[in-house]
Amino acid sequence: MGAIDRLQSIGSQLSGAASASGGKSKLLEKNPDDIVVTACLRSAFTKGGKGGFKDTQASDLMAGVFQGLIERSKIDPKLVEDVCVGTVLAPGGGATEMRAAALVAGFPVTTSVRTLNRQCSSGLQACVDVANQIKAGMIEIGVGAGVESMSTNYGPQAVAEFSPLLESVPQAANCKVGMGQLSEKMAKDLKITRQAQDAFAAASYQKALQAQKDGLFKDEIHPLKAKYVDLKTDEEKEVIVDRDDGVRPGITVESLAKIRPAFDKEGTIHAGNASQISDGAAAVLLMKRSTAEKLGQTIIGKYVAASIVGVEPLLMGLGPWKAIPKVFELTGINKDDVDIFEINEAFASQCLWCANELGIPAEKINPKGGAIAFGHPLGCTGARQVSTLLYELKRTGKKIGVTSMCIGTGMGMAAVWVAE
Amino acid sequence: MGKLKLFNGRVANQPKLPNHTCLLLASPRPGVHLLKPTMASMLEFRTPGFNPYAVKYSPYYDSRIAVATSANYGIVGNGRVFCLGLGPGGVQIEKTFDTNDSLYDLAWSEINENQMVVACGDGSIKLFDLGANDFPVMNFHEHKRETFSVCWNPVTKDNFLSSSWDGTVKIWSPTRTESLKTLPVGSCTYSAQFNPSNPALISTASSDSHIRVYDLRTPVSAKYHLTTTIPVHAPPATGAFLPNGQTFPAFPPAEILTHDWNKYNHGLVAAGGVDRVIRTFDVRNPSGGPLSLLRGHEYAVRRLAWSPHAADILISASYDMTVRVWTDGSTMPAAPHPGQPEPPVREGVQLGLMNRHTEFVTGVDWCLFGSGGWVASVGWDERVLLWDAHSLLRA
Repeated sequence: MGAIDRLQSIGSQLSGAASASGGKSKLLEKNPDDIVVTACLRSAFTKGGKGGFKDTQASDLMAGVFQGLIERSKIDPKLVEDVCVGTVLAPGGGATEMRAAALVAGFPVTTSVRTLNRQCSSGLQACVDVANQIKAGMIEIGVGAGVESMSTNYGPQAVAEFSPLLESVPQAANCKVGMGQLSEKMAKDLKITRQAQDAFAAASYQKALQAQKDGLFKDEIHPLKAKYVDLKTDEEKEVIVDRDDGVRPGITVESLAKIRPAFDKEGTIHAGNASQISDGAAAVLLMKRSTAEKLGQTIIGKYVAASIVGVEPLLMGLGPWKAIPKVFELTGINKDDVDIFEINEAFASQCLWCANELGIPAEKINPKGGAIAFGHPLGCTGARQVSTLLYELKRTGKKIGVTSMCIGTGMGMAAVWVAE
Repeated sequence: MGKLKLFNGRVANQPKLPNHTCLLLASPRPGVHLLKPTMASMLEFRTPGFNPYAVKYSPYYDSRIAVATSANYGIVGNGRVFCLGLGPGGVQIEKTFDTNDSLYDLAWSEINENQMVVACGDGSIKLFDLGANDFPVMNFHEHKRETFSVCWNPVTKDNFLSSSWDGTVKIWSPTRTESLKTLPVGSCTYSAQFNPSNPALISTASSDSHIRVYDLRTPVSAKYHLTTTIPVHAPPATGAFLPNGQTFPAFPPAEILTHDWNKYNHGLVAAGGVDRVIRTFDVRNPSGGPLSLLRGHEYAVRRLAWSPHAADILISASYDMTVRVWTDGSTMPAAPHPGQPEPPVREGVQLGLMNRHTEFVTGVDWCLFGSGGWVASVGWDERVLLWDAHSLLRA
């Protein structure tokens, strides 16, 4: 019955017609039942087996990040009803350790915890699941998170031996083909040149380096104390880890051109144009807008919608190319409405191909660099992208962002977020 | 009466030609303007200070029209109902009623020729009687936000419904101030209609891009009589790639602002809204996708109405300031060449365009009587235009 509501209603009916999209103005509306982010942060990412977190268990990383989230949001931990942690490599799904980590961080016993595994999108899936729980009225406030200690858990034990039954169906057997191997084949089939991949990778390094120099990761990184055993002296010391150690200067197309292919002598994929093996954790605090306003929480962004799709297991890199149009369909926006795309750089080849096919301009993708420059702790990445995206949207005064990634065994996921 | 068929079984003892026709033959009088340049003839009435939102012909008299209007474009301020009479003296006010908030829709009573209900911005519905001055004879106030549409049950005639921005549809008896039933739609419901032949079927059009059909004969259960949900933006069941080699355009979800049941085929509904496209659906096949696409409006479609005189004809009013007359293509040969398979989605054909309004056109209605082409349209230009759609077709 407010005049403003009536004006807005007529305005959106008109602008929807004028832009033929209808979605954007609707997306930017603020409604009490919106699912909003009131805090999001991550640990620094460090190199697997070498970096600052190489001797830190995933549970300890997660506990540290949970503590950071509670401190930063000043949320009363009693009000958080459920926590969901995406993690890929942890034995037993990490269910026991993550419940314990939440208790360490200061969540009371009444806060429930679960883990999930959708491979490289686990962190995003955790956020989406929590958002949906809130939407459905199952909980009021929840945390979506992701963690991976690739230093302690990465290795051949991650996949069990395939049964003869699985081996007998070709498409099923394809699910266990190594990521390097299938990406190599995909790059070759889709004619993505080494030159193009190296240029994309070098840009990722250079963007990340510049962002690090400018202190653009300060907002999203929560510094953590970690025990670290010196590789040369075997001396244990305590260090503060507050920067991504994978980001390094001097990387150019020329320097990358010298690296030998990793999977195939004739191939195009190498350590410099694929994501790094890393350790890290990230978390996102979610609730309804009405709840956030009641509690006086600072709203930094809004979750809008997510999509999940399946593709050929051997073409898993195409996931974002299929998932992003689907989330556009769900939200009624198009690529021009989106200001920033955070698309995980599993491999330069697949990320570049997806971007080109979708017609996304280079300056809209991963403006602070990506997994090639600072790493891809599998379960963590999806939750990490939320922080990277929302703080960058805010800094640049932009609004709409998409996070997306390809998923091993042939899937893709994408989500739309709005910064406020 | 030629093609005229009164769809709800009303016995008509009306003259063969509506009074406007006689009127046009007479010399113009003050208050009546005959407009000649592009259309053969058109009557005009002005509503100074009030922007019309809806117009309805009386189901009882061919010479009576009601217009629901709002001050300040319905954004803030009063509302006024104009009851207009057409006679040898031109279009004249028979009565006006004022309300404290904007008016968005109205429906004539099907059981009392002097009564009508109006949808009010404060969430109320008011029943006015032409025999009573100034005040409504009944006030129905349960909606928590703007009431946006009203529709009288054309079959049983003893109840009417309302839809609201509060996301509900309510069914009312004109004699009781408490609603008989509430149907939750879940999102802003711009339009709700009774099926013209089955008094138990109610359809809604809402901001979530869906048409819903409720069947009051089903048990309430968890779904509150909801039996059918049609995603208006969805492609046909055959998918985005049509067998005729074309690709069905991808439409994102968009607010549906208006819809209407066909008066001859009682499973057929037409809907229009923000994405500018009018679509027809068979409610018996909710996942089948649209039967016809009627494309041409350049801004949102604000109101549409099927002709009471011909099964394939409908008229639509839009924010693009035009009123368009269409055929849904159902009476034309479907395949471009004989022998070819029928395309799964027909393209409707625009038969005519009326561009005399100078602001958003918000209301349009067919006259039930006469030679079957008389139409009333209203818009934010503070004008009520009465004209013969046949003149568009001939042009």
